[in-house]
Amino acid sequence: MIVAGQALQRAPGAKLLVVDDRGRIAHAPRSAMVDSLRRGDLVIANDAATLPASLHGVHEPTRAHIEIRLAARRSLAVDDVKEFLAIVFGNGDFRTRTEDRPPPPRLASGDRLALGPLRAIVQCVLGHPRLITLRFEGSPAAIWQGLAHHGRPIQYAHMATLLELWDVWTPIAGAPVAFEPPSASFALDWRTLAAMRRRGIVFATLTHTAGISSTGDSELDALLPFDEPYSIPERTLRAVMRTRAQRGRVVAVGTTVVRALEDSAAHDGKLRAGAGVATLRIGESTRLKIVDAILTGTHPPGTSHYALLRAFVDEPTLCRVTRELDAHAYRTHEFGDSMLVERSARQFHATCGAEALTAA
Amino acid sequence: MNGYSMNDLRRWSGVRVAITGGTSGLGLALVRELRARGAEVALIARHREQVERMASETGAHGIVGDMSNKEDIHRIAMQILGRLGGLDVLVNSASSLGPVPLALLADTECEDFELALATNVLGPFRLTRSLLGALAATARERGSAVVLNVSSDAAVNAYATWGAYGASKAALAHLTRIWNEEMIGEGVRFLNVDPGDMDTSLHALAVPDADRSTLKRPEEAAREMADVIAGALFERRAVESSASDMRLGPGLRRDDESGRRRDDCPRVIPGERSEVRDPICDMRLGPGLRRDDETVR
Repeated sequence: MIVAGQALQRAPGAKLLVVDDRGRIAHAPRSAMVDSLRRGDLVIANDAATLPASLHGVHEPTRAHIEIRLAARRSLAVDDVKEFLAIVFGNGDFRTRTEDRPPPPRLASGDRLALGPLRAIVQCVLGHPRLITLRFEGSPAAIWQGLAHHGRPIQYAHMATLLELWDVWTPIAGAPVAFEPPSASFALDWRTLAAMRRRGIVFATLTHTAGISSTGDSELDALLPFDEPYSIPERTLRAVMRTRAQRGRVVAVGTTVVRALEDSAAHDGKLRAGAGVATLRIGESTRLKIVDAILTGTHPPGTSHYALLRAFVDEPTLCRVTRELDAHAYRTHEFGDSMLVERSARQFHATCGAEALTAA
Repeated sequence: MNGYSMNDLRRWSGVRVAITGGTSGLGLALVRELRARGAEVALIARHREQVERMASETGAHGIVGDMSNKEDIHRIAMQILGRLGGLDVLVNSASSLGPVPLALLADTECEDFELALATNVLGPFRLTRSLLGALAATARERGSAVVLNVSSDAAVNAYATWGAYGASKAALAHLTRIWNEEMIGEGVRFLNVDPGDMDTSLHALAVPDADRSTLKRPEEAAREMADVIAGALFERRAVESSASDMRLGPGLRRDDESGRRRDDCPRVIPGERSEVRDPICDMRLGPGLRRDDETVR
């Protein structure tokens, strides 16, 4: 796979690899994605907009330069912007791989941080020298203004240029609650949404605070994903119920949508509308209860996204997928090509059986 | 207290509105009008001091930003969505006259024309585009969302010395029509509203010796505009909602110059929104049109 280093959400010539429920692999132009969907399918995307979650500033006790990456919050409530989980880096910028960034100075609770116009206090250091909770001072209005003017989207060393907010907001971006872009939705332009509607494919959204995807620190990465608040609209719940009743497929756009839907249904197999906090780690042992297929980026083996795909297909199929992606020069990472992976019929039947029992 | 019925207050309650140019003229009058009706409002303008004063006076959320500056647009959009938690209505009211005093096109500096285009066309385009995901989400969940672009008769008539303003407003008006054509399937409605000649600081800059007594009060235009928004927003919600206490507003009529009344407009049928085509998105609130529907009957 080739790393996509240009901040182009819908590159001309973007590709789509399709895995059907029997594990058969096909290739298509991503612009023709709607041809891989069927009348009666329900496509659900994450409509979170991405926060400028990277804040440079100074650790006041040592005057050391630091970068804060906001990484999680407790809820989606509008005014809940005072406290964040955050990862702290030492001096440096996005041109240095996170793996090679120096650690921050030794942090302690009560330390004051000056982040441009924002002032914050370290509340707790959470068992790792880089992982803290912080509390911003000031009103929610002042915090939003400070984030808007001083924050930058989290940057990636593999990108050729600095990412701006407009690079990372998906076409459907709404509530600014994601810490990194729900990048599977980069593929959704308004023409595609209109084409879906014409063909009887329903589109719905949920909001999920897509968290930080990697920190460059293996100990920290082992803690990912952090707990992620989400909200499922009533209309989306109704669309899922209608789709399942009519034997359509629920197609999740991105891993965050899988996480929200499956977390919501984890307890008893029944989806609920409203707010929740996704704590589930989805992988090989997960029995999917809601989602039938995922539209996602291309992910190399060893990443958490790759592990999530194991909930859809078995390892030999994923190995074949990886070989195909390599053979056809697919581009990877946030701005890369896409895959549409339907969960294998075998797993599907197993889950269906379990679900029927739950419903009874 | 403010002359609005409980029903008015109930239906505007929870409606989230962003208004650019919200610290003066029509924009400010609309902020006050919609706050009085019970909407939650974010006002956007360039000067911090005025933003803070007007936000505090009206109970709106104040956001500082310059519509002509590309760098500011997503900052504005993020603060709107962060503070309101979503968006039902966007009003692009911020305007630039271009050169002041007004100049013949032949005497207009390119930079002045560029500023008019940046403020009156590119800014609204960029802000609308950055908020479209939120507006479409609102339309999916609540049945409708509205973008209102403030137009002018200078967008239609070739008035000498109004070249930069008139051409930019004409571009905005046509952009609005195309937006409306393209986004109606998403449930997002786009409207051009020409409020008529008003007694505002912008008008005073353009026509310093105007007889102010002949000009419309911005408050009056704001009331009419709020009724237009209500028509576009609640008509669809009333149709889509099963709630019995929603009523179609008190007889607002649209002056689209063809004499077509709002009641003649195609209705939204739940589940078939994608098939609806409503090309009427232009409105003139000319002198004489009042909220009172007797006037246009």
